[in-house]
Amino acid sequence: MWKQSSAISVLLFFLIAGITAFAETKSLTVIYDEKPTAVKAMLTETKDVWITMKDLTRATRFVVKPQGVCRDELCFPLPKAQKSNFIKKQGSVQWFNLSEFARLVQQPVAFNEQHTTWYFGARAQAQNAHLESLEAPNFTLPDVQGKKHSLSDFRGKKVLLVTWASW
Amino acid sequence: MPGWQTLYTELKGKNFAIISVAQDTGGAKDAAPWITKTKLDYTVLIDETHQVTRLYDMVNVPTAIWINEKGRIVRPNEVAYVDNRYKALHGLEASEYLNAIRDWATNGDKSQYVLSEDELRERLTPQKEEHAQAAAEFALGEYLSHKGLEKDAIPHYKEAQRLNPDSWNYKRQAWALSGTEAEKEYNTNFGKEVQKLGKKPYYAPRRLKKE
Repeated sequence: MWKQSSAISVLLFFLIAGITAFAETKSLTVIYDEKPTAVKAMLTETKDVWITMKDLTRATRFVVKPQGVCRDELCFPLPKAQKSNFIKKQGSVQWFNLSEFARLVQQPVAFNEQHTTWYFGARAQAQNAHLESLEAPNFTLPDVQGKKHSLSDFRGKKVLLVTWASW
Repeated sequence: MPGWQTLYTELKGKNFAIISVAQDTGGAKDAAPWITKTKLDYTVLIDETHQVTRLYDMVNVPTAIWINEKGRIVRPNEVAYVDNRYKALHGLEASEYLNAIRDWATNGDKSQYVLSEDELRERLTPQKEEHAQAAAEFALGEYLSHKGLEKDAIPHYKEAQRLNPDSWNYKRQAWALSGTEAEKEYNTNFGKEVQKLGKKPYYAPRRLKKE
């Protein structure tokens, strides 16, 4: 009898916790590498964005591995003592704190709560990579007909890269 | 633009290309009228998200960078007028700059205007954290503008302007998006902002010669 009721309360606890977690989730647009992705997220009071591991990969291509949070050859190890700041498990779902990760890798974040849009920008450090290599950062942009051109297509030529604007 | 076309026609036989990128949140809608006025055979691209501004940490237009055959920067970004239309405002002689480009097209890396790696590293300053944050705010503003939420984009443009006060791109693009409402929305205008510069020049001085 005792066992049964405690089992029920444990079950109830998880059920309520599950429901609360679900009630807290919001539909957000996460923009990462300029690409918007609709995700279900948990927002903390300090406006930190927690998303599921599945959405992490879907929105950012990052994957959590034993050695860290990785994408292609790039891996950011998570500080062991603070792992719970980044990852938490609720029921069968694992959540990842994208805002805490942005702080770790010194990535700028801008958000508009009214329009539930979170923008994760380019890291200053990545932007500065060319200062050492002196390699011109590549970009791909359309011409007025919509045809795409990359700076790297011009390799082998001297390129005068000029910016202008209509304003 | 006809000016760049003339220079391109003169130099294209020297393994030389011009990529001209419009920093226009309004995209082709705003930029195209300027492109189609003249027949151009150099590459003109539309940058709706001011990507090139962010990548090369630019604060103004017209700005140019020289990139050699190996894809390496040989001159950092600097003011680049093709003619003397606004010379009264900035005092820069276009022909000096065009002659430097001619010298580079002919002599490549051996040109007297191609900077050494050491001098380049000294002239290229690391992008500040605030500039990266400003770029994120500006980009979020642009995302909202592209969704037709112009009013809600304004606080983000203002934040970008606050974080990167040297950027005329962030000021002038945002004002242009607000049209006739700009002065009311931003409580300033071009003239007032230029006055705030005091003795500081509108463009960072161009140092054409090696040092």
